[in-house]
Amino acid sequence: MTSRSMDGKSVPTRRTVLASGLAMGATLAMPAIVRAADQEIVFATWGGSWADAMQKAWFDPFQTKTGIAVKTVSGNTYGKIEAMVKAGRTEWDVVETLPDFQWIGAEKGLLAPIDFSVVNKSLIMQGADMVTPYSVPQVLFSEVLTYNTKFKPPPQGWADLFDTAKFPGMRALDGGDIQDALEGALLADGVAPSALYPLDVDRALKKLSALRDSIQFFDTNAQGEQFLMDGQCTLGVLPDGRALNVRANGGPVDLQYNATITTWSTMVIPKGAPHLAAAQQFLAFALTPEAQAAIAQAYTYGPVVPKAFDLISPERAKILSGGPQMQGKAVLRNEKWWSENLSAANEKFNAWKLG
Amino acid sequence: MTDVAAGSLRRRRSRSRRTAFLLVLPGAAVLAALFLLPIAQLIAGSFSDHAGALVHYRRILAVPVYLLVLGRTVVISAITAAICLVLGFPVAYRLVHAGPRGKAAILLCVFLSFWTNLLIRAFSWMVLLNPNGIVSHLFGAMGMPGGSVKLVYNLTGVLIGQTQILLPYMILPLAAVMSRLDDAYVKAARSLGASPFRAFTAVYLPLVRTGTLAGCVLVFTLSLGSFVVPALLGGPRDMFLAQLIEFNINQTLNLGFASALSTVLLATTLLLYWIGDHWFGLGQVWGGR
Repeated sequence: MTSRSMDGKSVPTRRTVLASGLAMGATLAMPAIVRAADQEIVFATWGGSWADAMQKAWFDPFQTKTGIAVKTVSGNTYGKIEAMVKAGRTEWDVVETLPDFQWIGAEKGLLAPIDFSVVNKSLIMQGADMVTPYSVPQVLFSEVLTYNTKFKPPPQGWADLFDTAKFPGMRALDGGDIQDALEGALLADGVAPSALYPLDVDRALKKLSALRDSIQFFDTNAQGEQFLMDGQCTLGVLPDGRALNVRANGGPVDLQYNATITTWSTMVIPKGAPHLAAAQQFLAFALTPEAQAAIAQAYTYGPVVPKAFDLISPERAKILSGGPQMQGKAVLRNEKWWSENLSAANEKFNAWKLG
Repeated sequence: MTDVAAGSLRRRRSRSRRTAFLLVLPGAAVLAALFLLPIAQLIAGSFSDHAGALVHYRRILAVPVYLLVLGRTVVISAITAAICLVLGFPVAYRLVHAGPRGKAAILLCVFLSFWTNLLIRAFSWMVLLNPNGIVSHLFGAMGMPGGSVKLVYNLTGVLIGQTQILLPYMILPLAAVMSRLDDAYVKAARSLGASPFRAFTAVYLPLVRTGTLAGCVLVFTLSLGSFVVPALLGGPRDMFLAQLIEFNINQTLNLGFASALSTVLLATTLLLYWIGDHWFGLGQVWGGR
């Protein structure tokens, strides 16, 4: 029911729609001389508070530095990119997507190659497929075991998610984006992180069957937050930003980083982008340690450039993906495997749900 | 009647028919351009895969999930329509027979929920029905042990949500038909010695049959395409086909397969409508017979 965003945080609300309307009005009212930036690129985002954070951390400084303004639009769905490119009327210069699109989009011929003579990829963290000919990573985020603080001692890892005797109560799992549930089940079943992929979906579902009556699936992350906030569920797997949000709002939860799966969001340039050179320049800017540190200050996503941590306070670093609290614990999701197998895995998962 | 008079009548008739045709034309053109053409494209898209024309349909038949989910979609929608009928009928009756103030109050209640955003209504039900919510506490206070009845994240939750959201589509066509009905028929039946119950079942019900059918068709077909409520209020087994369509569009960009699923849903809807027309005379809803 949702268009996919990295943590679903950015559903445009009536307020943001209103605000963008007002902003548009203001732009129109401005004298032409102010309006005319040297150039403008269009960035298709997930919208909401995330787009506001990027405005502050990336778009404004980028315009100050280069004179290139960044205009944001929301509704960055895969279907829209395909429709635009196929109609030969690409209006977007940069789009943020989930990593699977770096393959789906490339295979369908919807993407322009990244110019790595402009974009410096040497600073980007090591990790399979973080950089492809058609994409660069944007920020890191994680799925983390989140638990009710009434449990003392707290759950220690994936196995405890399945231990209903020691940790009674319902489990909040994402029923739409099925990756966490399957990966978590295998890690709980004793699969070594290095041997996680190719994912044994049947084994994962068998493990999940033991937990079936204790799972309460959520469809949007807001729902997942609610489940843990009001205690309907005592354990769950939530995006780290979401879990931190529950805790910040006084929810009785904490995060167990022993059970962490880290992934990232990507930035791509659709084929036929009207301001190709400026778009490449923007990607280069966004991947500087300074810009990465700035976005990590503005939002609870981690930098994809490790050097950015030199510019981030230790206090802030320990809540970010890629921060010290996750070192040696987080499993990096194999997004390439998922892009090739999501459809089949989802079919099996749905059959399991019905069964 | 002379030949001249008959000729002029015929001419007038054909002229009025031409006027009617011209009046329908803009609407028909809009429908063709914005509705029929996209549907034709959708259906064509479902058959055009480089791996073969029928590859998507073969998958739908081979993997049990899709037909199972289609079946659940149809069954849950039918139950929803039945519940809406039972709940909506008395409301429509009251609406038609109330004074102006009562009418306004009932219409306000119907439309307030109608105008409230779908997501807000679904989230409100989550708050009300969850095991720590007001309704559970109410049940607890009435002596039923808290949490003994699970009201949400299962079929019950879907039915509650679907019924509330679709109820206006039952009440309004029913009330429209009821308001056109002459009370004299029921009075005549009563004066001839029929009990109130018999007057209701033998006279009133058959007379409002078209409204009942129209309400059921509307609620059932609208329910077939739902995905917000089952996704938010349902359990793992309460999947609607629209959710699988959405997955194939937004997550895997497999538009061909999504089109095939949509075509199957459309074909099922038309087939059920045809059966309904054949057996229950659904066509009369539109004044066809």
